[in-house]
Amino acid sequence: MRWSEVWRTALVPGALAGLVGGLLFGAAMSEMGLLPGIAQIVRADAALVGFLVLMVLAAVLGAGFGVLVWYQRPGAGETLFWGLVYGSFCWYLGPLTLLPLLRGEGLTWDVDSAQAAFPVYLGLVLYGGATGLVLVFLRWLRRGPAGTLHFSGGALLRGVLAGLLAAGLLGAALSAQDQLLASVAMSTGGSHLAAWLITLVIGLLAGGVFSLLYSRPTDGAGAGLIRGSVYGFFWWVAGALTLVPLFGGVGLTWSLNEVQAAFATLPGYLLFGAAIALFYQWLGALVRLLFSDYVVGGDEEGVGTQGLRIIGRSVLAGLVGGLLFSLVMLQIGFLPDVASLIGSASTVPGFFVHLGIAVIIGISYGLLFHRQSYDVGSALGWGVSYGFFWSILGPLTLMPVFLGTAPQWTVGAVAATFPNLIGHLAYGAGLGVTFYLLEARYSPWWIPRRQAEVARVAHQREQVLTSAPALWTLLIATGLTLSILLGVDPIDGTLIDSVYPPGQVGR
Amino acid sequence: MRRAARILSPALRRELLAGGLAGLTGGLVLWWALQAQGMTATVPGLLGINLSAVGTALHLLVAILLGTGFALLLRYQDRRHAAILSIGLLYGLLWWIVGPITLGPLLDGRGPTWSLAEANAAFPSLIGHLLFGGITGFGSYLLIALFHRLRPQSQPVDAADEAPSRRVVILGGGFGGVGTAKRLERICARDSNLEITLVSQSNYLLYTPMLAEVASSGLEAQHISAAVRVSCPHTRFHRGQVVEIDTEAQVVRVRSGGSVSDEELPYDQLVLALGSVANYYGLPGMEEHSFKLKTLEDATRLRNHIIGLLEDVDVEPDDQARVGWLTFAVAGGGFAGTEAIAELFDMVHSMLHYYPNIRARDLRFVLIHSRDRILPELGPQLGDYALRKLRARGIEFMLESRVAGADAGAVFLNDGRSVATHTLVWTAGNQPNPLLETLPCPRNRAGAVVVNGALQVQGLTNVWAVGDCAEIPNPYNEGQPYPPTAQHALREGKTAAENIAATLRGKPVKEFRFRAIGVLVGLGHRTAAAEIRGWQFSGLLAWFMWRTIYLSKLPGLEKKVRVALDWTIDLFFPRDIVMTSTAVRSASPNPQHSPPEGLPAPEQLPPEQPQADVAPDVAEEGS
Repeated sequence: MRWSEVWRTALVPGALAGLVGGLLFGAAMSEMGLLPGIAQIVRADAALVGFLVLMVLAAVLGAGFGVLVWYQRPGAGETLFWGLVYGSFCWYLGPLTLLPLLRGEGLTWDVDSAQAAFPVYLGLVLYGGATGLVLVFLRWLRRGPAGTLHFSGGALLRGVLAGLLAAGLLGAALSAQDQLLASVAMSTGGSHLAAWLITLVIGLLAGGVFSLLYSRPTDGAGAGLIRGSVYGFFWWVAGALTLVPLFGGVGLTWSLNEVQAAFATLPGYLLFGAAIALFYQWLGALVRLLFSDYVVGGDEEGVGTQGLRIIGRSVLAGLVGGLLFSLVMLQIGFLPDVASLIGSASTVPGFFVHLGIAVIIGISYGLLFHRQSYDVGSALGWGVSYGFFWSILGPLTLMPVFLGTAPQWTVGAVAATFPNLIGHLAYGAGLGVTFYLLEARYSPWWIPRRQAEVARVAHQREQVLTSAPALWTLLIATGLTLSILLGVDPIDGTLIDSVYPPGQVGR
Repeated sequence: MRRAARILSPALRRELLAGGLAGLTGGLVLWWALQAQGMTATVPGLLGINLSAVGTALHLLVAILLGTGFALLLRYQDRRHAAILSIGLLYGLLWWIVGPITLGPLLDGRGPTWSLAEANAAFPSLIGHLLFGGITGFGSYLLIALFHRLRPQSQPVDAADEAPSRRVVILGGGFGGVGTAKRLERICARDSNLEITLVSQSNYLLYTPMLAEVASSGLEAQHISAAVRVSCPHTRFHRGQVVEIDTEAQVVRVRSGGSVSDEELPYDQLVLALGSVANYYGLPGMEEHSFKLKTLEDATRLRNHIIGLLEDVDVEPDDQARVGWLTFAVAGGGFAGTEAIAELFDMVHSMLHYYPNIRARDLRFVLIHSRDRILPELGPQLGDYALRKLRARGIEFMLESRVAGADAGAVFLNDGRSVATHTLVWTAGNQPNPLLETLPCPRNRAGAVVVNGALQVQGLTNVWAVGDCAEIPNPYNEGQPYPPTAQHALREGKTAAENIAATLRGKPVKEFRFRAIGVLVGLGHRTAAAEIRGWQFSGLLAWFMWRTIYLSKLPGLEKKVRVALDWTIDLFFPRDIVMTSTAVRSASPNPQHSPPEGLPAPEQLPPEQPQADVAPDVAEEGS
């Protein structure tokens, strides 16, 4: 590592990319009239000064980002996700910590200040994503497209198809909650058909872009699912909160109240992104299965042997995770509500229903995430990420559907199911780590013991160079932070109330 | 103590120190930030300690511990600063859930609610924990990276370059050898410093109880054998012949195929599971003119030979010549011999309708046995039952007769009689692998090495023996060794593996103890005889037990499914008469009918023994 090389390949391109990201960020800040606040860092209050300060900060942060991802794989998708996690981390470090100190106001880490700084959060996420993409573009200019972007017609077709399928699901779920119009309200003039069309166009775009960013996924379907969720979050910020209102001519809807009002889109887009990634990966696998002649790299053991082993391990892992989760459930007295799935209302049946669900989800974890964890860190990462994914798909979506109502993508439901979120994270941690420990004894199965150890280290080295660690952190940090910020009424500071679960009126 | 020293390598100690330091820094930042906002740091507050000095110390202690834990969980790797920062943030977040959200209310006595209100109140410490995690992760990485930059020679060697510290070499891929390897893999699954090597001439474990059915075209050859590489994925497999065992230098010399010269495999622990080979007692013409039933190749050869005979006889006009060609003889009335003759009888008769020129009354099946009753391992009742049953089908028994020799067209008995046949199957004698004779240790009369109760070979150190090649004292039957059967070999292998693991870990070894539960023998045509825990079964019920129990003992789910399918197909369709090879002895045009020169006198003949390791296995306990 020579300094000239760091300068040439990390700091300068990073700073340039940061400037482009900063332009976007600055435009958004200026739109919302927040630039004078930034100027206070240098004890001034003119918008132009604020903009200049912002651009300097953006260049410095961009240079830091260039160093951060210097060793990482140069793929466009990977860099985008590192950008997102970098941007959101800058929010905790900047507006919430350093900025007040620089202004000489003292630290304020409370919910009120965080809520006030919420638009900046969205701006920084966008800044991070844009910086990442521009950095990829700069690398492309320097070294050509190798390793950054890969275009193929088949992948694009698969992406578009996956995007349309996922958008269909998203539209159906939103319209079941009468939220479809609201999600794209400003642009449609109240027509359902137009709302559906816009949703499908978003799906088409999101799917197509996904296929460009990740034309050849290197890891399993589970990693794809988590990556898709984060990709959905990116589209929530860039699409639902930014592009759609801008095209509708209503300006940015980044204030906390507006975000709370359009909250249904957040779980919706997370699931939407996950669905895109999963469909995309499955379509690719189907194409490979039917038409590919590529047999050299095959190291699978066959569904009969491997599938049964995975199921055996994941049942055990699911039980461990489920017991951890049950502790949370028992403490908050939620088990009778689970029992309502089978028409009962007491704790013991609830416990068994809950454990049964835990085992089934555990099996799905095993099938999606086998041979993806190479140490306790990544086991924990995939596990809690999958747990978080289910805290949206489970209590907010599937459980209401099974109880005969529409999904509950409301701020109130999120606030009411916050203990559930913690429980799901505990479940995911138990599940992931147990599954890893069981799998580590035999995986990779085709190599004798000692080489297996070496192969595991090589795989793990490869994994940390992808965006996997960024995905885990981003998902959990975003999940916790947004739940807290959006679940509290910004006016009077009370928790937003809701009846949950549906069908239990008066609880 | 030594164990602790081994785990705490200098690199790990360094990383723990760096983690602790980074954790301390993160803890200081968190403490300062919360103080600045007029909040007490979480940990002391929840313990109800108000003394600020004690509280601060406690808080920092926890921070150091968490930092050390992080370093332990995520070992240092160069080029992963982004990942470690990101995982550090996640680590902080998870501790926020464990600490202020869960343990805090718990220690306060309120009990955690994990409610949004609680999280709302703890939001400042969420940001704090995030920062703490980031500083801990990134800081520990930075410290180690800096250290490596200042002292480049301190970089740890890659694990791949280090030789494994302990090697176990297993000789033989039968039930004993594979049983040892599998058990050892399981016990030492997490011990990557142990290397298990298995040397065998065949790359599969043969399920001998079903071998007769392969010879009789009832099962496919591959279906009753499991590749060693599949059963023992973490064992290094070496297909080759053992040339020499040097117990002084603790080295085994192995000759593989191809042009490579002999390879030396050093060992720390050696397991002898070499099994046995057919013993012809020097009888003239036996080795050249008889079939044995020890390997898949033997079974396929016998099957092809018989189908080839039927093909030849079908077009042979000379009635005199047909007699010897249609006579099938088996020497030895133990498990293997009895099952073989019953299966051959079934096979030939079920194929007969394809050969219109062969009449059933021309066929002759002969079993030659030295005692007055077949199946000595079963009680007299079941032995008589088998004899009666098989005789009723038309099988001839020459009891109290010994084979004295054979040529291409006949087998000669010690009483001067002879049977004209081109098909003689020899199951009447086995001896432990002759390689054992080169070892400097006591052996029994047959040539098996003598071991103690813990399966250690007497007179040698770090050498263990299991299966047919070992004489193991049976504590349940004073003075008698365990019989050489598959069920024993499998369990001896397990015990040997446990004892090896115990020796490597410096723990005491245990004695091998196993009481055979019973025996089963298939008699063909949906009949069998079984003796389990003194209960006797025969006929259809015993046949059903035979199939169920043996199927359940077959190694691997895939093979179980395949054999079950074979059996199902066999119920509905005739046996296959495809000759897979023509490289077999063809029917000799001029069979001799006089004894060859140099036949030993009858009184010099060795006693015949029932072949043991082809003997059927037995019910597992509880099955």
